[in-house]
Amino acid sequence: MPESKEFQENACRIKAEDVGLVYHSKHRKNDPNAGSFRALQHVNISVGAGEFLSLVGPSGCGKSTFLYILSGLQRLSEGTAWINGTPITGPALDRGIIMQAYALFPWRTVRKNVEFGLEVKRISKKDRRAIAEQFIELVGLSEFADRYPYELSGGMKQRIAIARALAYDPDVLLMDEPFAAVDEQTRGLLHEELLRIWEKTNKTIIFVTHSIDESIFLADRVAVMTPCPGKIKEILQIDLPRPRTPAIKSSSEFGAYRNRVWQLLQNEGERTEEVITLDGRKHLSTVPQEVSI
Amino acid sequence: MREGKGPHLLLRLYRKTIVIIVLLVLWWILPQFIESMYFPPLGVILAEFRRNIENGELLINLYTSLRVSIIGLAVAEVLGISIGALIGWFKRVDRYLNALFQVMRCTSILALLPLFVLLFGAGELSKIIIIAWATIFPTMINTAQGVRNLEPVLVRSARSMGVRGVGLFLKIILPSASPYILAGFRLSASISLLVLVAAEMLGAAHGLGLMINDASRNFQVTRMYVGMLTIMILGVVLNAALVWLERRLTVWQERAVSA
Repeated sequence: MPESKEFQENACRIKAEDVGLVYHSKHRKNDPNAGSFRALQHVNISVGAGEFLSLVGPSGCGKSTFLYILSGLQRLSEGTAWINGTPITGPALDRGIIMQAYALFPWRTVRKNVEFGLEVKRISKKDRRAIAEQFIELVGLSEFADRYPYELSGGMKQRIAIARALAYDPDVLLMDEPFAAVDEQTRGLLHEELLRIWEKTNKTIIFVTHSIDESIFLADRVAVMTPCPGKIKEILQIDLPRPRTPAIKSSSEFGAYRNRVWQLLQNEGERTEEVITLDGRKHLSTVPQEVSI
Repeated sequence: MREGKGPHLLLRLYRKTIVIIVLLVLWWILPQFIESMYFPPLGVILAEFRRNIENGELLINLYTSLRVSIIGLAVAEVLGISIGALIGWFKRVDRYLNALFQVMRCTSILALLPLFVLLFGAGELSKIIIIAWATIFPTMINTAQGVRNLEPVLVRSARSMGVRGVGLFLKIILPSASPYILAGFRLSASISLLVLVAAEMLGAAHGLGLMINDASRNFQVTRMYVGMLTIMILGVVLNAALVWLERRLTVWQERAVSA
């Protein structure tokens, strides 16, 4: 499936060439960490139209930073990133970003939140309403259209955030650990829903996560990132059939991918360790390093 | 446990107003037994109240006072929200201006009044400026705090959709800080009445403050009470209107305690 997709649409949406980022912290007296910190080094990847790419790695590996570079909210200091063949110089409506924190505007109703990007695009009031309605329905929250964000659960908020990003019709969705804060069951439902929406809208999705299972379950390809400095260690092609259901996670193929990703991260040595949180989820975490940004 | 939303509306209204009603009744009755020129019965005051409405005196005074305070307040709100937003957004602006504003804020407004009268005359202009001066600070300080408390993730989210500059101010910063701004506005509005009356007492052609002061000097005690009663009612109505407005404009906020 993924191969055929690539053949069908070999248009390259996103391309990163030797992307690097160095933070320069301000020099302060008696601060041993003052100086520069390398967050990303030689990041190379290209993402095809309609492709689902996961970036997985422990916190501190620069995966979110890389996503923010693609969004245009973060400047890069080396290399170039392109969208549709044009270098990325700032944020624009050809990319939609969905963040881990619920970034809905609390003073706007669900409907008005989804209309936000359309207002920026100067789409007429009537069309805004129709488009918003369509995408609120797509994420299955029509009956909540006139509610305020504080009245919604975490999972619902993220579904609205997805609807808001889709409404202004970007080519690429950039997702920064969007489901990290919702409970396990909800996350499972959101995964299936995201895949359904992805197949329906045919967007290119770049999905950042620290969960290995999540990255494999969703993606066509998984880019494994390692820290110090942040770089892509390997890109794995995930040849699991679609549509995917949770049952696939117990298949031997899935297990093989999981082990492979795990190995890639393990080889990094002691810097990465597995953390099992109270709810039984596995996380990857780096040993705390003294870093000043 | 009681069902529904607590006590019946009438019961709540009764609890809220009973003490005031008792006091009003006492004011009506007691002075009829203990005659004192300083405390005329409420009935007499209300008769004077009506006479003052009919002969137009109250209306011109009320109109003058309201006009001056509304203009002063409007000037203060426009400046206060703009400067407050700048202070909240740019740390540098805050660092340079903070001390100055503290000094200005802590100086009694009435101490400065003679200077404003010297500079701008005894007419309405000096009063408008005085009111603007006195009311700018609550709005400015609250706005700055509201802007400082802005969630960075909301700014980032708006920026990712290409919102910048004035758009960012109008679509994100202002609505996000609006609960703070409205609270500051309510404070500013009540201060505007307070300061206006004081300023009018020091000299004016018309106005409620002048009316009260003039009546007091001429031992027109009943007329003095009419002025006071008007200001009292004005204050209560204004506050109620602003509370209502605040609730209307902040329905999107989660409330820990229900109304």
